[in-house]
This record gives sequence, C-alpha cells and structure tokens, in this order.
Amino acid sequence: MVKMRELTIVGKSVLRGDAKSKVLGKEEYCADIKVPGMLHAKVLGSPYAHARILSIDVSAAQRVPGVRCVVTEEDAPKKLTGTGVVRDMPLLASGVVRYVGEPVAAVAATTVEAAEEAIDVIRVEYEELPAIFDIEVSAGTNPPVIVHPDFAKYRKSTPPERLCPERPNICTHIKIYKGDVEQGFKESDLIVENRYVAPSIQHSPVEPHAAVVVPEADGGLTLLTGKQGIYRAKEDVAAMFGIAPHKIRVAQKYVGGAFGGKATIYELIPALLALKSGRPVKWVMTREETFVLGGPRQGMVLWIKDGFKNDGTLVARQMEVFVDAGAYGEASPGVTQNCSSVAVCMYRIPHLKWDGYAVYTNTPKRRGMRGYGVNEVTFAIESNMNIAAEKLGMDAVELRRKNLLREGEAMLNGEIVHSNGVVECLDRVCESMKLREKNAPDGPWKKGKGLALGNKYSSPGTHYGARIHVTENDRIVIYHGADAIGQGVNTVMAQIAAEEFGVSMDNVDVVFSDTAITPYFGHGSTSSRTTFNLGNAVRRASDAAKREILERASARLEAPIEILDVRGMEAYVTSHPNLKVKVRDLITPKAGGEIVGTADYKADCVADDPKNGQLDPELARAGKRLMAFYAYAAKAVEVAVNVETGEVKVLRCHGAIDLGKAINPKTCEQQSEGGMAMGIGSALYEETLMQDGRVLNSSFTDYRLPLAPQMPANENMKSIFVESAPHKDGPFGAKGFAEGVVTGMEPAIANAVFDAVGVRIKELPITPEKVLRALHKR
Amino acid sequence: MKRRITLKINGIEEELYAEPWWTLSRVLRDELNLIGTKEGCAGGHCGACTVLIDGKPVMSCLYLAMKARGKEIMTIEGLKCEGEGLHPLQEAFIEQFAVQCGYCIPGMILTAKALLDENPAPTETEIRAGLNGNICRCTGYVKIVDAIMSAAARTKA
Repeated sequence: MVKMRELTIVGKSVLRGDAKSKVLGKEEYCADIKVPGMLHAKVLGSPYAHARILSIDVSAAQRVPGVRCVVTEEDAPKKLTGTGVVRDMPLLASGVVRYVGEPVAAVAATTVEAAEEAIDVIRVEYEELPAIFDIEVSAGTNPPVIVHPDFAKYRKSTPPERLCPERPNICTHIKIYKGDVEQGFKESDLIVENRYVAPSIQHSPVEPHAAVVVPEADGGLTLLTGKQGIYRAKEDVAAMFGIAPHKIRVAQKYVGGAFGGKATIYELIPALLALKSGRPVKWVMTREETFVLGGPRQGMVLWIKDGFKNDGTLVARQMEVFVDAGAYGEASPGVTQNCSSVAVCMYRIPHLKWDGYAVYTNTPKRRGMRGYGVNEVTFAIESNMNIAAEKLGMDAVELRRKNLLREGEAMLNGEIVHSNGVVECLDRVCESMKLREKNAPDGPWKKGKGLALGNKYSSPGTHYGARIHVTENDRIVIYHGADAIGQGVNTVMAQIAAEEFGVSMDNVDVVFSDTAITPYFGHGSTSSRTTFNLGNAVRRASDAAKREILERASARLEAPIEILDVRGMEAYVTSHPNLKVKVRDLITPKAGGEIVGTADYKADCVADDPKNGQLDPELARAGKRLMAFYAYAAKAVEVAVNVETGEVKVLRCHGAIDLGKAINPKTCEQQSEGGMAMGIGSALYEETLMQDGRVLNSSFTDYRLPLAPQMPANENMKSIFVESAPHKDGPFGAKGFAEGVVTGMEPAIANAVFDAVGVRIKELPITPEKVLRALHKR
Repeated sequence: MKRRITLKINGIEEELYAEPWWTLSRVLRDELNLIGTKEGCAGGHCGACTVLIDGKPVMSCLYLAMKARGKEIMTIEGLKCEGEGLHPLQEAFIEQFAVQCGYCIPGMILTAKALLDENPAPTETEIRAGLNGNICRCTGYVKIVDAIMSAAARTKA
C-alpha cells in the first residue's frame, strides 16, 4: 500500500485550522465553560509548611448562604494517589500538612464570593512541626525532618533498586553506571568539577488550570478539562473514587497553554465536591494558586565532575543530581530518571556514574516542565564543557565535536544512536551566528557569544491510537485523544491524513480530546510525543481505511485489489485511471456504510536495568531502544552585558533543531521561537522565590516572564531545521522537538556572558545582581 | 445590592443588573457570555482581558463595570472591518502564524488595534513597547510582531 509519491501537503506551511476561531474570540476554553446549576469551588490551603492537623471545624462555613458542600479528608476516599511511581498523596491533607498551600478543605457554593467567604471561616487548629527546605540536607542519611515517615508502606511501582531506605527523604534514586569513573579520573589530565543550581520555575500558561466536573445519573462523572493527558485524568479519578472507568468521561477543546504543568492531577477536588453535592462543580485556580498547586518545575542542584585528556578527549563523568520533588513525588521520580538522557546520549565517555535523587522537602509538589529536567542537566554539562575548553586551551566547538557520539555508536546506556543530526545543528548555528567573530562594545554594554548543544528524548509512555472515518459526504474525519495545547496538532494530523488520501485539507476534519469518542492516547501530549506517535497512528489508520475502500472497490470494479489505488476520494485501476469508482458510492448503506480505519502505535522500546540504567546489549543489537527518539539541538546566542548594572540582554538567538522532518515548517517555527523565548526567561529572569516554603512571588508582576520589549528583534531570532537525520520510525521521518527547542538556551547564554565579561554564573537565573557581584569579585 | 446599568458593548446597548463591585471582565464573561475576553490573572498583569474603552486598551479585570457606563466598549466579538469578513489584524494573525494556544490572542489583537489607531506605521520597537502589558507564553512574540507589522502595511496600502 505504501508508495513513494512526492509529498504535496506534508512539508508545507498550511495555515492552522484553529486560528480563525481563536482570532474571532469564539473558542470556549475550559476556564470559559458554564454549565447549568454549576457551583464554584474554592480550596483552603495550609498556612504551614509542616504541621499536624488537630481539628477542623467547618460548621460556620456550612452556614454561609450559597454554600452547598464543604469537604475535608473525612469526606474523601481513604486512598493515596500520585501520577508518578509512588502513591504518596492524599486527596485532602490527612492528619498532617506537608507544604504551604496544601489543600486542607474545599467548598462548593453558588457563587465564587460565597465559596471564598466560607473558606475564610473554616477553623483549623494546627500544631506546627519543624520543616525541611534544603534539598541537599534533606537528601542526607539523617535529615532533621522526615517528610513521609510512612514512605516504606506506600504503594509503589518502582523496582527496589531505585529506592534508598538509608536516606529517608529520598523518593527515588536513579543510577546509570558505565565503566569505572574512579579509574577514568585517574587516567584524566584535567578534572573539572562544579556545582550548578537551577531553580523552580513556573510553566505560566496564560489560561490557568481549570476543570468542570459534572455528576452523571449513572454514578459516573463527566470532566470538562483543559489539561494534558485526558486518559490519565480518567484513570486517576476512576481509581480514587472506585468508579468504573467507562463511567468517567474526560473531554476538552483547546487548552490555553500547558508546558507540562497541566499534566498534574487537579481534578480530584472538584470531583469530590461534585459527587458530594450532586451538582456540577467548576474550579479555576487563581493565578496565585497556579504558582503553588499548579505544580511548578522541580529545582535542582547538580554536581558534575568531568575528566579530560589534554587533547580534549572526555574520559569520565560523574554527576550527582538532587531534584526537589517538594512534598509529594508526582512527576519528580520520572524527571529524575529521564533528565539523565542528555548525559548518556550526547558525548562518548568511557566511564559514567550518574546518581539522581528525587528528594522530598516541605515545599509545593512539582510537575515536569517543558524539557522534563533535561534543560537543567544541559545547563550543568554545557557550562562545564566551556569551562573545560578554557582550561584545556581548546576551542569550545572543537572540544564538543571531538566527543560527540555519532550514528550507530552505543550511547552510555547501551542504546544505539539513531537519527542524530547534532553535527549539522552545531555547524549551522556556528556559521549563522559567526560564533568566532566578536562585536565591539557599545558603551558599558560588552558583547559576547555563546554556544550550547542539547537533546531532548521522548519517552515511549504507553500506546497511542487514531481512528479515521471516511464519510459519504467526502469527508475524512480524524478522531484522536491527544491534547490541543497550542502546538497545532489538529493541523499537522490533518496534513498527514490529507497526504495519505491524496485529498485537500478542506476534505479533512478533526474530532479530538474526548475519552467517550476518541481513541486512547496514553500519557497525553507530553514528552514531545504527539507528532511522532499520533502521526504514526493516523498513517496506520489511514492505511486501514484505504484497505477497506480498496476491498469494496475491488468488488465493485471486479478487479484485484493489488492493481487498485485510492486518491482524491476515488478508487481506480492504477494502469487505467478511467476505470474508477467514487469513494462515496462505496459508502452507501447497501455497500456497507461508513468506512472506519483504526490503528494504534507503540514505540519499539523496553525498560532499562534499574541497577545501572543499562539496556541489555542483546536487546540493543535487536534494535530495541529505551526512548522513542532523541531530538538534538544547538543554540548560539549573542548577549550584551552592562558592566555598570549587571544587566544581560540577548541580542541574537539562533537555534537549530534536528526534527527529522518539518511537517509544517511555520508551526515548527512557532515552537522554536516560543521555546527560545522560554529559554531566555529561565536563563535571565525566572525563579519561584520561596521563604520557609512559602512562595513569595506568585503573580506576574513579581515573577518576571519574558515580555515583547526584552526579546531580540525578529530578524535576530532564527530557527534552523535539520532534516538530514530522519527517524526510521517517524511519520515521514519526523520526530517531536517542542522541548528540544528550549534545551541549551541557559548554558548558551551563560557561556555568552562569560565570553562578554569573563564571569561564570553557575546559578540560574543570571540576574544583574549575580553578574555585578561576580564582576566585583573578579 | 445589584443595580440596573446600561453598557454599550460593540455598538449594542446592553441592560443588566450588576453589583457595584463587579469588574467589567466579570460582566462581559459571566453575565453576557462574551467569552472572547479571557481572564489569565485577574490582577491586571497578563493582558488577556484587554478590551477597548473609547478606543483605549483597558484591562477589564481591573475596571469596574459601573465605570464603563456611557462609554463605548469594544470586545473581540465586536472587531470588524468595513463590511463583512475579518479585520486586517485578524487576517494578519492567521496568515503570519501568530496564533498558538490562542488564549492571549483576543487581548493582543485589541491592544494592537489601539496601537495602530494611534500610530498607523509603527516601528518594531514601538510595537514591542505597545505589547508590554500582554503576556504570551507560546510564541516568543515573533510572529505576533510580524502580524501587526503586516496588518499596518495592509491598512496603509
């Protein structure tokens, strides 16, 4: 069935199908939804980072006019939840609170104001307990506070090798061991050892987290959401309340941005209120709540020790990475495991010792953010590479080039390198940025250039489905369960289906994100997985539908199926195109009705050995992988640093990304430009400030996001797409890359700051204060 | 205590009952179901709720509905060009790929309209300064700036 044809729609910058309704203001996002009889939810958060709950008195709250329902842990199922590998989190705090803002009680009322008033009159007596905030202290064998004394009793789906009972606040310990690092360091001529810090930052989608939960007559629930991972929400809600999964429906339309943060579980509280009150309940987090309950990025302390030969050969690398999980595991064990990928897939190193720890502290629970830990690890590695180049007296580009893994080599976890376009990424950004040419200072503004490489894996997750209906009015209708979080999934999938059927975009419709009618889509639109997995599923579903068309055409035309093809809603004999039948004539009730093709895709992946993070060599030889794919990236930036104020401005930013195939180049540019801007934000501005576990800057005035005036001029933001290393399993060779476009921004900027003024900032963000201090110390 | 007020929204006189402390964004979104006006922070920081009042961009989450009496209020639903079809800004936002998640877009477009009404041929720096109150987390602003430049060129031609 697969024939090589020139692509007519894939690879073209087709306009986005969702743009018109969005510019007209017609799209209803979750935060906009109103349902008849709907109540509004509000949550009471803990004022303490760690305290025992002595009593909760909700009687005054229940008397507030308009209040229909007040819930505490007594009303919740006696179960722990968690989307990660450890079930450690109660629906509402049970006996103890572990972070400031942890939900203790919730109210549903006819108005937001009544709900707020009720929250204010709930009386909770606490006995404050000592709390722990420093991850390196918390990670020790004898920490002053144990966040989860019952950790050993929790349900876990993690192998025992990844637990660390001798260190009571460690939720997960990830080990990737290859060779013998001590021997490697002995053989090295130069050791470069440093400590880097990347803070917790905020995803900050402009639409806050929202959910509307509607109780149904059969005891089930309908969840109208705006999240990442509708099937995970369905599974989590079903498990918590003991409702049969088929009675839980999760549906959504367009999501107002997500970036990883909306993969957190936040539907359980409105679901509990809906079940107790029997009324639909809407919960929209306030912006302040999103800073705490929205699940900010982890925050990491990274120790790295690299050993080099005098000629620049990397001999050994040791990394110890402490990942701040906050009070509950959630995504943090996964982040701790997956963020190691950039340490294993980029450079050829004979000896590696990676120890990653997800560490409990009395701070808000965290969620993975665009990059899932890889950006932070890349910051450490790519800063260290430049420090090493300086010490070795080598060019930083050549040092990298010398050590880069190439196609067919084994990565440090035993996986075989495939679809690696990093060298072309490196060459092209160096050339377009003119990396070695330094520009003259402009008064106090000294200029410098910096480079970093990066890589973002995509985890295999579970499996991903698509269904295609070919209807009698000449429509190709795609049904899929991925999340339309702004990336343009519907346009790209429509392009793929249009290509497969040889029809125009006008013939294709998309129905999406509704567990009642769209196929299973594993972990949702996270981990840069949608184009790769759903693209493959759509191609396979198209094939299945076309096969059915051809079977019916074969009967109608009395011709064997092998000599038939289908294009432009006609099936025909390939050698005699005039012998044909309209597809719609094959779909009449008599001919068998609507044609439906279904398919599922699952990447050819296996799990590693939890003792050392290695892939079984035999499985590697058989072509098995640990990750679905890796997208490589290079970033080159030019900065200006004001030596009087310490201020840093990014003047130019060029990013190359090895995406396999740009299915829609303009939407790829959208991702790339937005990703680089996000990287500028995390490099220069963004940090969740906490004092004793309390978030201090939970608003967009106190938490600084990149704004239009601070970004480089348009002509200085350049996206370079490398298509020379297509993935053998990617749809048309494509890989996902929406995280890799951020990766490498922070170290590229840090390296450029060093190039400009000779100071090395190892703690993000690179604020004027840190730059000035470093300049004064020099 | 709710009071009867009349607001002129997109050229139509709307009568409704409102509490004196209700914000304009609340009245637009909850009472009139004009959901094209988005709310991202309810604190005047993100710009998603931008509407035009007598032609000037205003964060409707900070603006009391009572104060809008007697003024011309324009929301994204009221943005039209002469005759039928899309406004040049809306067309440019589509054609320049300025739309991703779309949540900030109504506010961006109305801010841009006020900017172009005042300065029909802005420089890139002037456009960027004009967008200072509108947060977009998806685009890095590149294609939004392109779209506004393109709409300006189109209107001038």
